Amino acid sequence: MSQSEQQTDDAVVMIGIAKSFGGVAALEHVDFSVRKGEIHALLGGNGAGKSTVLKMLSGVHKPDKGEIWINGVKLEEHTPEAARRLGIAMIFQEMSLIPSLTVAQNIFLTREPKGAIGMLDDRTALKEARILLEKIGVNLDPRRRVDNLSSGQRQLTEIAKALSQQASVLIMDEPTSTLSSAEIDHMFAFLERLKKSHASIIYVSHRMEEIRRIADRVTVIRNGRNVMTKAVAETTLEAIVEEIVGRRVGAFDRKARATKAGEEVLRCVSVTAKPRPVEANLTVRAGEIVGIAGLMGSGRTSLAKSIFGLQPIASGEIRLKEKVVKISAPPDAVEAGIAMIPEDRLTQGLVLQHSVADNMTLPVIDRNSRFGFVQEAKEKTLVAAYIKQLRVKTASPQKPVRTLSGGNAQKVVLAKWLATDPLLLILDEPTAGVDIGSKTEIVEIVRGFADRGRGVLVISSEPAELLALSDRILVMAGGRVVREISSEEIESWAEHSTDAAHRISLMETGLQVAIQEANS
Amino acid sequence: MNAKSEVINGRSDNFVSRLKEEWRQYVIYLGFVVIFIFFSLTLSDKGFLDPNNLLNIVRQTTMIAVMAVAMTFVLSSGEIDLAIGAVAGLVSVTTAMSIARFGMFGGIIGGLLTGVVVGLVNGLLTTRVGIPSFLVTLAMMGIARGTAMWVSNTAAIPILDKTYYFTFGSGNIGPVPILLIWALVVAVIGHIALRKTTFGRKVLATGGSETAARFTGIKTHDIKLQVLIISSVAAAIAGMLYAGRLRSGRFQLGEGDELSVIAAAVLGGTSLFGGFGSVVGSIVGALMIGLINNGLILMGLEFSQQLIARGVIIILAVMVARSRR
Repeated sequence: MSQSEQQTDDAVVMIGIAKSFGGVAALEHVDFSVRKGEIHALLGGNGAGKSTVLKMLSGVHKPDKGEIWINGVKLEEHTPEAARRLGIAMIFQEMSLIPSLTVAQNIFLTREPKGAIGMLDDRTALKEARILLEKIGVNLDPRRRVDNLSSGQRQLTEIAKALSQQASVLIMDEPTSTLSSAEIDHMFAFLERLKKSHASIIYVSHRMEEIRRIADRVTVIRNGRNVMTKAVAETTLEAIVEEIVGRRVGAFDRKARATKAGEEVLRCVSVTAKPRPVEANLTVRAGEIVGIAGLMGSGRTSLAKSIFGLQPIASGEIRLKEKVVKISAPPDAVEAGIAMIPEDRLTQGLVLQHSVADNMTLPVIDRNSRFGFVQEAKEKTLVAAYIKQLRVKTASPQKPVRTLSGGNAQKVVLAKWLATDPLLLILDEPTAGVDIGSKTEIVEIVRGFADRGRGVLVISSEPAELLALSDRILVMAGGRVVREISSEEIESWAEHSTDAAHRISLMETGLQVAIQEANS
Repeated sequence: MNAKSEVINGRSDNFVSRLKEEWRQYVIYLGFVVIFIFFSLTLSDKGFLDPNNLLNIVRQTTMIAVMAVAMTFVLSSGEIDLAIGAVAGLVSVTTAMSIARFGMFGGIIGGLLTGVVVGLVNGLLTTRVGIPSFLVTLAMMGIARGTAMWVSNTAAIPILDKTYYFTFGSGNIGPVPILLIWALVVAVIGHIALRKTTFGRKVLATGGSETAARFTGIKTHDIKLQVLIISSVAAAIAGMLYAGRLRSGRFQLGEGDELSVIAAAVLGGTSLFGGFGSVVGSIVGALMIGLINNGLILMGLEFSQQLIARGVIIILAVMVARSRR
């Protein structure tokens, strides 16, 4: 293809982009272009380099190699301001709007129309906002305060704000994850109209069904390279998923466990909460690891929160060891023998400023005390034992846990909960933001825990991780548990292959397809 | 992604940076010594080092110290209590009135009960209704002071019970003022409670990260409720000590103490944002404020000048001792 011609025709042209962080290559070589008036889906697994590409484009990072052209102008100065001037707008999810201001005030924030003596002219702002919203076909009163809007309306406000700044390329990252299906329809109709006015949209999503509905072309990034760019109409779901998964050599490996699933540990009977889960049913037996797969917003984390007492249950019941338990707050859950490794270890899992030792002993201080006094010798032994057993790398147990790497911090969270010796361990994204070595170690720790006859429930958005850990996998969509995948079925996806790396790729593809099917 | 997190976490903890972080924890003790030596040298002819003067500093500091111990818990849990000064005034009045009617034990019970009730209201409004403690206790400050003025008709209520005012503030055991014993007892209990008990750990965890503490199964609301009750009860004890020392209950007692108490705790290394606290630091902080007040008076500064000098010194000290984040 002739590049000079492309550069004048296309809204975005990225050529030979490479970038590494601290000596590790995040992007090796990416060519990526977006036509004017096109919705272009950008896909890739976790850590594939997708977000790095978008950060280059929006000026957050400077590429080590390669060129970026926006609307025929080369991006020379790699700052968010420069990229914005050339027409790039990133539509944030939870977002750059100030909740206490109105729609009109947000649209014109820092660029407010002013009157003769420099006073803010709210009337002109309101009028201009109205004209703008009407022009892009958004039915929204600009006088409304943002905190009274639904997520969909907020997103539209965000887009209106971007367009008022002459944006011609919108980057949208998982825009539908917080929207209802009616709002999604509305949003898609709006994007179609926007497209007709020659705006370009880069659309990032894990929902294949949406991509097939809205996108014109699709580009897949894997291991820091663009491996596929095709018109959506010319490809299939399976082909796209195969490209995303690729044949990557990951940290995970599926090893069949000799499961002797014992008595029932947990049973959820049509557990319902607002807004999710919806009539969720599941069981976990002693010695068993059950995985929960699903897209963002499918209710995976909400289900875990409901079991752990962080979100009130509207109806349904939770049974532990076949006895109905009433869990209205985390202390009840801990008391009943449930432990949860939360999704966000930095805010939910750890008191960052406190020491490794203090964090590890926090859930068991009552057990390690006599008449309210902490038995420090007992604690010391416990901390030393877990640091050794989980191989936590820390200069001393007294170091603040914030000084630890992601993997070691996660081991502290694990240690803290293993120390409570729970019946049931729930893990939400247990290896997110963790280095490869620690990932493997964490998988081993969890397996070891299950081998001791305890129940484990794992939630993950990384299929490889679920496959590595789980005996069975439940797929959630729209708040419901819609499918159960047995160990045999997982094995059947890879029955024709003996090569380990190929087998895990085949299983990943199988699971991804199952998740997508559950959503269509 | 991994590479990035390594860069963030890879900050090397070398000796210099550790020293830089840790000296701030002890600067309050150093500051105390420096100020003490400074006054000893400049005010030696004005009787600064006279044992009577030094004991006077202790007498004047005890109430602040008692409240500062409780404030250490309040701040460590991520809350604040601005009502303490007013509560001390109110309790001095209710105690004096109860003594007049029911005798000494009635007085003690009346005083403590006042503290518990105020603390319970503060705590319930903060944790159950969800109004920030800053606002609740700011409002309570006016309510407590107003109630004290109302029930006392703005008059001082004398206390004639000798045993009471000996035990609560006026007495001496040999050369030792009984107030010093009160301060020591409260300090020891507070220090042990914060460092050695599960309650102290839970307070620090709640203030360090309420979300993480809640996810860990700590009843953070209960902890905050308890801490606010403790704070009001400590203010009640301070009010009873004021009443004992002056042999009367007066609504003005404890006015402005909340600022001295918070300053003492922050000077002592307790974080205004929660998660860190030191009872010993708060005691030394309270002593330092008492020391400064005493020195400025001996220097012959006018009250107006004292206020300015005290403000400047506190700002300087907090700047140096600023929390380690």
